[in-house]
Parts: sequence; structure tokens; C-alpha cells
Amino acid sequence: MTLQLILIIIFGLGAIWFGWRVFMTSSMVRSALSLLASMAFLGFLFLALEAEFLGVLQIMMMATEMSIMAIFMMMYMMDPGGMSGMDMSHQKKPSIIAASVTGALVVLVILFTNWGSMAVTVPAAARQNHDLGIEVMKRSMMIFETAGVTILVAMIAAAATALVYKKDMI
Amino acid sequence: MELQITLIIGAILFGIGLYGALSQTNLVMIMMGVELMLGGCMLNLVAFWRYLHPETYSIQMFVLVVMTVMALEAAVGFAIATQRFRSKGSVESEEASDLKE
Repeated sequence: MTLQLILIIIFGLGAIWFGWRVFMTSSMVRSALSLLASMAFLGFLFLALEAEFLGVLQIMMMATEMSIMAIFMMMYMMDPGGMSGMDMSHQKKPSIIAASVTGALVVLVILFTNWGSMAVTVPAAARQNHDLGIEVMKRSMMIFETAGVTILVAMIAAAATALVYKKDMI
Repeated sequence: MELQITLIIGAILFGIGLYGALSQTNLVMIMMGVELMLGGCMLNLVAFWRYLHPETYSIQMFVLVVMTVMALEAAVGFAIATQRFRSKGSVESEEASDLKE
């Protein structure tokens, strides 16, 4: 077993464990922080897979996003501390069946696919960043620009959705 | 071997996220499930880049796009939750049956 494989397994188990804890705890803060930990382990996993820029980006973005999410959760939950032991789930059995069937099917596809030869080495981190920048500015520029416009649209849509509308406002 | 294990981790994360998105009643918890599913997808993309096409950077580009989608989903979702909480006083999907009419 190589060091990379060991790291992948450790970080992957961490991500899965905290992802599972998100829905198994009744305290909302714990749930948001578990999601933060799961996403951070995902970032470490990217680092272990030698995608350094993506790993650091993932950790930084998710840390901010999940902290904001924790605040929103406390604002909107009926029982944010989970002290009264409310059950916040419905249609449990169908969801467990749907999730495990989907997961099992995907695992079967993974195991019975011939993936061909594996790449042993990847370009160095600086080289990756350079080539990713070239890619973004050349061939995939349209997609990247579309992502930028989508961010703008989502910002306007979010602000417009959250506004208060009164009858005598207009 | 590494590729398969990484993909299986992604599949398990996707399954957990699907369970959460289907079973939770609170809008914010449903969004958490969707985030976990998108996380599994990103892991798949990174694994494909690392083990199959390390010279193809459009894969890394798509990881950036998925990350953007995660942030936007959170932003629009919180806006909907804010408006829903303002008008109805709760973000429970069980109490949103008025949307059916």
C-alpha cells in the first residue's frame, strides 16, 4: 500500500463519517459543523490526490460557506439546539432504500468498469496552476464566463427573492 | 486500485447526500444533502483527472464550475428560506403544502 492510498482511505473515511453525522445529530450547530468537517476532509482528499489548488480552494470556500450556513440554520430551525429531541425527518424508509440502491448501483458500475491504464505521475503544482489558467483563458473561456454571469444572476435572484414586498411599495 | 477506492468514497457521499435530501423536512437540511451530493461529484472529477487524464485541465475547470454551483445553490436556497420564513414563519417542507394549490 502506498502512502497516497493510505491517505485517501483515512481522509475518505473522515469525509464519510462526518457526512453521516450531518443527518444523525439533532443539534443544528453540530450538523453544520459536521458538514464543514466533511467538506474539509474532501479538501484534504483533493490534496492527497495532488490537486493542490483545488484542495486549498475547497477548504477555504467551504469553511466560509458552512459558517454562514450554521448561522442560517440557527435562525430558521424550530429546535436549533436539538434539546427536545424532535424528529426532523419524513419518508425515512423510501429514502434509505433509494439512497442505498443508488449507491450500490454506482459502486457496481465502478467495480465492473475497465478503467484502462492509470496515470502514475501528475504535473507539479506550479505547472498545474499555469496550465489551468491557460485553459480557463483559452479553450474553456466561454464556460468560465458563463459561470461568472450565473453568479451575477444568482446574486440578483437571491436579493430579489429575499426582499419584502408590500402593497404600497411600488 | 486508488481510482476505484476514491470513486467508491464519492459514491458513498452521494448516497448519504441523497438520503438527506429525500428524508429531511427542513429546507436548510435538504440543501446540506444537495451539498454532500455535489461534493461526491467533485471528488469523482478530481479522481478522473488524477488517474485517467492528468494533462487535461478542463476537468479541473469543471470542478471550479461545480464549486460555483454549490455556492449559488446555497445563496438562492437561503433567499427562498428567508422569504418563506417571512411569509409563513417556518421552512418545513411538511408545512409547504400550500405550494401545491
